[in-house]
Amino acid sequence: MLFLCASVFSGTCFAQDDSATSEPPTTAQSEATSSQDEAAVEVETAAEATVANRINDQFGVVVGYMASVLFWDPVPGEVTVPLIVLILLFGSVFFTFYHGWLNIRGFIHAINVTRGRYDNPSDPGEISHFQALTSALSATVGLGNIASVAVAIQMGGPGAVVWMMLLGVLGMTAKFHECTLAQVYRKIKPDGTVHGGPMYYLEIGLQERGLPRSVGKGLGVVFAIFCIGGSFGGGNMFQANQATQAVIGLVEDSGLVKDAGDYRWIVGCVLAFLVGLVVIGGIKRIGQVTEKIIPFMCGVYVLACIVILTANASVLADTVVLIIQSCLNPGAAYGGFVGVLVLGIKRAVFSNEAGIGSAAIAHAAAKTDEPVREGVVAMLGPFIDTVVICTMTALVVIVSGAYKDPDAAEGIAITQLAFAGTVSWFPVILAVSVFLFAYSTMISWSYYGEKAWQYLFGQSQSVKLSYRIFFLIFIVLGAIASLKNVLDFSDLMILSMAFPNVIGGIILAPKVKSLLNNYWARYKNNEFKTYR
Amino acid sequence: MPLSYSTVIVPVDFSGESPAAIQAGLEVVDDASHLHLVHVLLPLDAMSPGVLLGDVSDESRQENVSKNLAALAKENGAAGAVRAVLFGTPGLEITDYAKQQQADLIVIPSHGFHGMKRLVLGSVAERVIRYADCSVLVLRRSDAE
Repeated sequence: MLFLCASVFSGTCFAQDDSATSEPPTTAQSEATSSQDEAAVEVETAAEATVANRINDQFGVVVGYMASVLFWDPVPGEVTVPLIVLILLFGSVFFTFYHGWLNIRGFIHAINVTRGRYDNPSDPGEISHFQALTSALSATVGLGNIASVAVAIQMGGPGAVVWMMLLGVLGMTAKFHECTLAQVYRKIKPDGTVHGGPMYYLEIGLQERGLPRSVGKGLGVVFAIFCIGGSFGGGNMFQANQATQAVIGLVEDSGLVKDAGDYRWIVGCVLAFLVGLVVIGGIKRIGQVTEKIIPFMCGVYVLACIVILTANASVLADTVVLIIQSCLNPGAAYGGFVGVLVLGIKRAVFSNEAGIGSAAIAHAAAKTDEPVREGVVAMLGPFIDTVVICTMTALVVIVSGAYKDPDAAEGIAITQLAFAGTVSWFPVILAVSVFLFAYSTMISWSYYGEKAWQYLFGQSQSVKLSYRIFFLIFIVLGAIASLKNVLDFSDLMILSMAFPNVIGGIILAPKVKSLLNNYWARYKNNEFKTYR
Repeated sequence: MPLSYSTVIVPVDFSGESPAAIQAGLEVVDDASHLHLVHVLLPLDAMSPGVLLGDVSDESRQENVSKNLAALAKENGAAGAVRAVLFGTPGLEITDYAKQQQADLIVIPSHGFHGMKRLVLGSVAERVIRYADCSVLVLRRSDAE
């Protein structure tokens, strides 16, 4: 700021000196003026860059301290294996076996429920099964599918794809479990709206199981804190960071603006404004259109990936072989087998949110009187998000070789490179997809985070407004921070939600199993009324 | 102090204390028609799935609350009470409504919050006491947190 003032002051003084004389400036004087102006601009840009860098550096320090606690590594060895990753892996495997591989045997039923076969409009809730899935997908399908996958392959090699897909499949049952619980313990308010999610089923469900109320309440509070952090991190900063990068990349490639990276804060402010129109301005029309476009955009994105893969069909078989070989023997450069496994798990969970409980907040609002039915629908989320969309991104990145390109920066830039390699204007489709996915993810996660905020601080307009203002500030912060800091913070918060969620979920597992067995017996007996 | 009041407002939040508040209101009016049961809804969340994808609106919320108010009134012997659904900040809306109706008394349960919620929310009862033009009877909650 001092530099800015100095430059303005010196400019003003010179102008006064200039106007004090009646003679026109000489060429030497003009050149001196021009070089002083350039110096002033450089100082101004340097000052702005310094402020942004300082914010980013301080943010990195804070994230480092948090990681030393939340990502504690209990496994000896060179490769870092955070405890939370082990919990997530164990939870997904446990729920899958405990519920008898419902992700496989219940898949067709999930499709039929989502198509509306059992939709009864007079059932309690706010939205249909399909709308609940769309709402959850609009939160999960975002930059995690497009940029985070590229990061995983760049860091872990092609083998990371296998572990991502595996966690996508196993995560389907984890998501079924938490969404069923959300339906069981949801609260329907007198105005017909719904409150639900892990904070409620932890508080009420664990007390029902005979544990002291303080245990369930404590876990509910811990979950709410991490959910708020997750809404600021993965649901906000990461989206803003990569959406900004996509826009900046496009602008720089077009040559329209020099050093476009210096204007990241502008993109951040625009994004914050657009999100603010919905969350604070209450202009729901924008949000409604965006949410409804998301399924269409998923289709467009997948189609673009298919075009790229078709264009590279000759190397597709070799790519699959490479993926499998890299999975089994990734090499020390990628951290070995364990390193790639940990990376694949982190990126899969970051993308599909299975096991962390966030989607349960949306699925709690579905219209149904059968909790298991909504849980079954929720299973489709990780399948669409990870098994389909993430895998598409991964194949495109590997087939194109973009992840090996030494000039490829990181994150979204790798995916942009992959898209540009086949059709020159595909990056435009990618940029539009990225922006819309990021925007819808931020809208959806602002809902999750606000529900958690209200759980902690109560329901009032001032409580809601305070959260929303913080949310918008974090958008701008995400736009200017480095990808590393943003990703580290996002991972910390999002994955830590699994601590209370998986632990509480395992304690409540017998309840869900009992409900599932009862439901499945009635389903097999054709006892459910159909409406379509 | 009069033994009965001509217009009594009872804010209803559908908590466990609402029936007791309605009963307390009935005891100080000659007829249930002098009782006004009022519920205040906070403004809609524009980013909730029900608003973005479903049919949730202020109209649907108002309709649901009206039905629930009618049922609660009937269960507690106040079927003839006036029922009102308002939108906005509870403390202010209740006192504004009481002023419009020229109410003599507001009967309201306290929330009994402690800790963080008490610090952040305060209580609607405190705001009603501060802004009301008429007498306010605050009922202590038996299950205060």
